[in-house]
Amino acid sequence: MSAGRYHDRDQVDFVVVGSGAAGGILARELSVAGFSVVVLEQGPRLDTADFEHDELKYWFLAGITNDIATSPQTFRSSLDQEAKPVVGGPALKYARMVGGSSVHFTGNYWRFHEVDFDERTRLGPIAGTGFADWPIRYSDLEPYYTRVEWDIGVSGLAGASPFDPPRTKPYPMPPLPVKSSGVLFERGARRLGLHPFPAPMAINSEPYRGRPACMHCGFCHGYACEFRAKSSTLFNMIPEAEATGKCEVRAQSYAVRIETASNGRVTGVDYFDAQRRRHLQKARAVVVAANGAETPRLLLLSASSRFPQGLANSSGLVGKYLMCNYVSRVGAVFEHELNEFKSVQVTRVVHDFYDADPRRGFYGGGGLDARIGPQPTVWAQHLAAEGPSWGPEFKKRLREFPRAMVITCHGTAVPVASNSVDLDPKLKDAWGLPALRVTYRDHPNDLANARFLQDRGVEIAEAAGALRVARAEITESTSTTSLLGTCRMGNDPSSSVVDRYHRSHEVPNLFVCDGSSLVTSGRGQPTMTIQALAFRAAEHIAQFARRGEI
Amino acid sequence: MQYDDSLWRSRRALIQSLLATGALAAFGSWSEIYAAAKTTRTDARKTVLTTEEFADVDAITVLIVPTDDEPGAREARVPYFIDTALGSFFAARAKEFRAGLADFQARAKDAQPTLGAFSAWPSDKQISFLKTVEKTDFFLLVRDFTVIGLLTMPEYGGNHQGVGWKLIGFVDQHVFAPPFGYYDRDYAGFKPYEPKSI
Repeated sequence: MSAGRYHDRDQVDFVVVGSGAAGGILARELSVAGFSVVVLEQGPRLDTADFEHDELKYWFLAGITNDIATSPQTFRSSLDQEAKPVVGGPALKYARMVGGSSVHFTGNYWRFHEVDFDERTRLGPIAGTGFADWPIRYSDLEPYYTRVEWDIGVSGLAGASPFDPPRTKPYPMPPLPVKSSGVLFERGARRLGLHPFPAPMAINSEPYRGRPACMHCGFCHGYACEFRAKSSTLFNMIPEAEATGKCEVRAQSYAVRIETASNGRVTGVDYFDAQRRRHLQKARAVVVAANGAETPRLLLLSASSRFPQGLANSSGLVGKYLMCNYVSRVGAVFEHELNEFKSVQVTRVVHDFYDADPRRGFYGGGGLDARIGPQPTVWAQHLAAEGPSWGPEFKKRLREFPRAMVITCHGTAVPVASNSVDLDPKLKDAWGLPALRVTYRDHPNDLANARFLQDRGVEIAEAAGALRVARAEITESTSTTSLLGTCRMGNDPSSSVVDRYHRSHEVPNLFVCDGSSLVTSGRGQPTMTIQALAFRAAEHIAQFARRGEI
Repeated sequence: MQYDDSLWRSRRALIQSLLATGALAAFGSWSEIYAAAKTTRTDARKTVLTTEEFADVDAITVLIVPTDDEPGAREARVPYFIDTALGSFFAARAKEFRAGLADFQARAKDAQPTLGAFSAWPSDKQISFLKTVEKTDFFLLVRDFTVIGLLTMPEYGGNHQGVGWKLIGFVDQHVFAPPFGYYDRDYAGFKPYEPKSI
């Protein structure tokens, strides 16, 4: 047995469930701190040789994402309905591989603002919702945002946005080169008196920490980076964890139950390996970072006589308050070519509408950015849904591809208890376990905010001189990759699942840290904040372990 | 819901149609299907559809992306792509597709009892008929498949020799350098804001 490889029967210090944006950091930080760590990742271990510019595979055949053929889901829009199996694609989608969704994300990496953490105090309650302050403030998280920027690798220009919260260090890399969409977006926004700024991106603008600079291939959104220029945990945290000799990452290991002893403490994690054999990995403590969909599912699957509602669920809030940031879009066509298929997805952002403003008549705010979104096939699918969908006029519009851009408006999602994930009472996955059931309906404020932000996007496109501007229809959400809020943090055990250090209120050696920890939704683009939380959580968890407090 | 990093969102009709195209319920592993389709389907031969079905599918795809002074769906070998897809990575949709096609053919016969197969009609009559069925699930499915067959990697049997990419102006290349387009050529650089500007 080589160093850092463990047997199930060995009690390791930590099992980390999930190897994505948060799990990768937790594994690295805890193993660098000297603890023995086993990471269980349900998806495969892939590398750059596996990554292609293949739209069919990545967008239509669940190439690196959760596949409803084996991991089905059901969906309903309210609790009084019977949830129906989803067809075509998952309601809650994530990248299922080592590195998780940090592999296929776009890398739009703005920090949350100070207002995100205490908006409830600033604005007052929203009736019928779980709108609440966080148990921490921006200042608590600032050092860890800085860690993300320097350890993960973020390109950007400090101080460029007048709306940015205080920071202690500049970005380690300059912004990526501006694209034509960024130039036009900046031009339009400045004409309106707004303050567009270079997008902070988790993509190398120059060689950084052993990874090369971006080659501008254009396939970030939904794809894995073939150059390792994208700052995915697959390329930084995971290998750094393994290099300690203390961390073993087990791919194709599907965690299905966290075991508990009669004293109420967790003892290890039960999982299927690639051959569907069951194992129990023993551990002193368990850290769940399986994402906002699978984390609450695993806790609910871990119900026992001592924890009949599910593990860590005495509040009844495991799986509740699912928040799916609403994203509205504006299409624009210009006179000359932009060639949006080249380079990173986003180069300019506007935060002038970030803060909620009660005068608008609803709660909500957001960030806008300029991008094409997906590459040819998916772009053409959108196009067909927007205007003439066949014939010479459709063909003419297809040929506008190089001259087109999209303004994307990232909004808020109010935490509503009925918006939730739980276990479907009937449907089972390919391993015989209850499927994920999703209940979701956008809060009216979320839709009002989406329309408000879309109007601002239209104004920017028009001010930029677009020949044609099109609004994407705003309808109720039925699917998302924004998996937030389902095991929220808080000081009060009756209204939260984990405390301010991500420790379960009721199980002292169980920690939860990923998108599920968020109390409010930010304005989309949550990965940066999820990772800051992970750095902070890892530091505290390591201290607890050293002091014998786990 | 999500469209961006968060991939999808909103625009239910669009996304559902798009996602529906990706249905793959019958398969446990896309990789086998993908490998098979990708390595074997670069030639033009059909395996699933009958000759008559194939001819009508061909006729519909030609109406969706017509051939003019530039190639369209036919030159991209979209009908062969669809045939391949129904026999492999979209096999889960094959039954629905053929039922939809049968319904399409029956409606066409009702509309023009004397003209024979849809594929043999004069194009003006084809166009007027297509307008009457353009909201049907079958037409939307063919449209989605046509777009995918036109623009996805040629290894899957469509986008023959990259004609779809050439048509829309996409360049299949893995390394680019700025300037990327017309508007970023003369960008003067980011001008910081005065602190008082907000």
